[in-house]
Amino acid sequence: MSVASWFGDRLPVSGRQFRELTNEPVPYHLKRWWFALGGTPAYLFIVQIITGILLAFYYESSPTTAYASVEHITNEVSFGWYIRSVHKWAATLMIVSVILHQMRVFFTGAYRDPREINWVVGMCLLLCTLLTGFTGYSLVYEQLSFWGATVGANISDTIPVVGSFIKRMMLAGDAYNQSTLSRFFVLHAAILPVTIVFLIATHIAVIRLQGVTEFRFADEEEAGGKTFNFFPDHLYTELIIGLVLMVVLSALATILPATLGPEANPLQTPEVIKPEWFFYVAFRWLKLFTGTAAVLSMGFIVFVMFAWPWIDGWIRKNTRFQEASVWIGILGVLTIIGLTLWEAFARH
Amino acid sequence: MTLDTKRIVIAALGGLFLLSLVLVQWMETARKAEEAGIRPPHVAVPANSRECVDCHAEENPGIVVHWESSTHAEKGVGCMECHQAAIEEADSYLHHGEQIATVVTPRDCARCHDGEANEFAASHHSSAGNILASLDNFLAETVEGSRVDFNPHSPTPGKAVDMVNGLASAYSGCQQCHGSKVALESTNGGRITVDDLAPDADGIPTNADAFARIMRDDKGKPVLYAGTWPNTGIGRLNLDGTRGSCAACHSRHDFSPRRARQPENCGKCHLGPDHPQKEVYEESKHGIAFRDLKEDMNLDAEHWVLGVDYAAAPTCATCHMSGNIRNGGRITHDPGERISWTNRPPVSTVMDTDVNHKIVTETDPELRRTLIHDSANQKRDRMKDVCSHCHTDDYVNSFYEQYDDLVILYNEKFAKPGLAIMGALVENGLRTPTQFDEEVEWTWFYLWHHEGRRARHGASMMAPDYTHWHGMYEVAERFYMELVPQTREIIEHAHDAGMSAQAEAVERILDGILERPEHIWFEEGAEEAAERIRQEMARRYGGEERN
Repeated sequence: MSVASWFGDRLPVSGRQFRELTNEPVPYHLKRWWFALGGTPAYLFIVQIITGILLAFYYESSPTTAYASVEHITNEVSFGWYIRSVHKWAATLMIVSVILHQMRVFFTGAYRDPREINWVVGMCLLLCTLLTGFTGYSLVYEQLSFWGATVGANISDTIPVVGSFIKRMMLAGDAYNQSTLSRFFVLHAAILPVTIVFLIATHIAVIRLQGVTEFRFADEEEAGGKTFNFFPDHLYTELIIGLVLMVVLSALATILPATLGPEANPLQTPEVIKPEWFFYVAFRWLKLFTGTAAVLSMGFIVFVMFAWPWIDGWIRKNTRFQEASVWIGILGVLTIIGLTLWEAFARH
Repeated sequence: MTLDTKRIVIAALGGLFLLSLVLVQWMETARKAEEAGIRPPHVAVPANSRECVDCHAEENPGIVVHWESSTHAEKGVGCMECHQAAIEEADSYLHHGEQIATVVTPRDCARCHDGEANEFAASHHSSAGNILASLDNFLAETVEGSRVDFNPHSPTPGKAVDMVNGLASAYSGCQQCHGSKVALESTNGGRITVDDLAPDADGIPTNADAFARIMRDDKGKPVLYAGTWPNTGIGRLNLDGTRGSCAACHSRHDFSPRRARQPENCGKCHLGPDHPQKEVYEESKHGIAFRDLKEDMNLDAEHWVLGVDYAAAPTCATCHMSGNIRNGGRITHDPGERISWTNRPPVSTVMDTDVNHKIVTETDPELRRTLIHDSANQKRDRMKDVCSHCHTDDYVNSFYEQYDDLVILYNEKFAKPGLAIMGALVENGLRTPTQFDEEVEWTWFYLWHHEGRRARHGASMMAPDYTHWHGMYEVAERFYMELVPQTREIIEHAHDAGMSAQAEAVERILDGILERPEHIWFEEGAEEAAERIRQEMARRYGGEERN
């Protein structure tokens, strides 16, 4: 009995069936590179899983050992500095790519009926990615990551009704304590990744069920067919994107390796506390308002983002502003960039 | 893009990615090799220093290894940046095509670190070379040695000694901390120093005759007088007119900030019987914490700001020089900026300083106020900024009250009276103005220079044993058991020698001191106080006081 027939008896799927399953017709606009970037966050997520597992071999999630273990990874473990740097840069690029992907979906109106659910799933993915970044940065246990987590918890505390509960859940108590880091670690290395896997699966399943949104550009009429094969044409495209990402990651990790600030000191508040760059916009927004108003306004903005397909549908149905979303989107993006730069250059 | 093109692109990118992994492997191997000491850290040697490094790596590998691990090397600062010299400079010479000088002075360092050099120039450290004309140097040059070289009085088997260098103790002792007056050998058999060269503001000699007399070896290199070089004393009097040596704290050739931040660095000089700051620190809670928490001190941090980079324990540098979050991280190279008492002289004085950083000695309050440029209180506030990182204001203020009380007690009970007695002895001709030729002068020197400083330094840095047993206890013993009896003996001899008027003048001063309430116990006994103590002992421990 050959090996192929042995497997064939136990997995009764023929090569033809497998090709049919995977050879989904791909809309012609995906020949344009810009539209093929949806898989980028997924690539980076896989990089994060692999490098994260390697880092977890050495990381110790206790306030007394966390910083030393990161120092050990960076300075002593073979290739530790590289793995940590790739993990750090892949996190940064993942957040960038999720935001860019969401912007592409927004400005092309790909969230509209009947794809509202996938937009909500995408929003959940964005929040999970940001939360993963937040918890990951906290694990380093350097001064800014410690105080960033403390400030984050205090901000949560100002949410009416549930604020103090969220803070207690976050910190495993009323204040940062021995159990806080292990809670962040479990969130970062188990709960959030599993949630992201589930959300990505749902995201892709919904795309497969509904098909990719199709765009038609002027020159495509000449190109002929409406779709092209996933295998091997689109697979090659994705492979090229993946390899470019790996080369870029490797270059960033060697040229700008992850650094390590001073160890967290709960008794010494730094003069300037800043979160990671992707929270600059939220941090600056919170500084513009006070306490509960700041948190509630931000909650409202997040709610509007979740509900945007329906809000946009209502505007298009009941007003003459058919492209209102584009202008609102431009305003939103400029606001995000403005607030981020403001926070980046502000001393306090 | 056709499928074939995509395949080619994939292959190229795959190759590039593999290449990046090979690069990572190479970096990792190099890192491990450097860590294991198999390979020196990679540094880019500046072009004009390449020949120096190549040659000295063979001749003096230690120099090159130290430099390679320095921040200078990391930032591309090579040999020439520090050793370059103008042809007109006194100690300059042509060495393998480059005009260089062996001795690097603060003027050289100031080319890049001018702020630090200016602060240093204003500090007491930079004037440490003034000892060359002080009492201490008389001790080394005359008492311990001889101002003139002399013939040996017996042979040294195996060593041809035809002359004894009388200043050897000063050269190898005092001047290695305080700094030498760097000298060049002269063609006329003498020596040429900064005094002879009279350098201008740029450090170039103005005395052409002295410059012409500089002795040079067969390669044209000026011959430095061995008594004064090598020397990294902190107040070194350099040939270019500058004072000091940055290498005193920033050891050449690695200039390690890490080392300068540690107490052992200061302990090269600030130790021993006369100013045991290093030992005092080690006895204090600060020193104990440092030893225990050294690993948490982040000593390799770039800026090493207290409260930002570390807070585990203070070192000498922390309190006297380094930046902290209260002062915006400003480092000073003038340790006197935060010192409110000077405990160096026989009688401590407050550190009110004038525009020239000299202590104001004016006693008229109004006039004194106009002269003060930087007051002792301002200096103390700067130090309190450091203290407050770990202590509350009340704690710090109360500590300073304890410290002030101890210094004032020493000043008023022993130092000023001792000074009065010693002054009276000279004024009345009962001792010579020359120091160390009479027993009472040694006694007085021990009292203030050794024991009195120990007590004051102990109190300044919270070392109780140095304050009491090595300090005030020995001050008291020296005063009552030696200074007073020796003065009485001198008085008695004066009476015998027919100098009764002079003897009585000194006796009046001595008796006047001993009749004061704080000394009366010594003449009249202190049975009442002793009895109180015996009763207290019995109450506490239920027995007799043990002797």
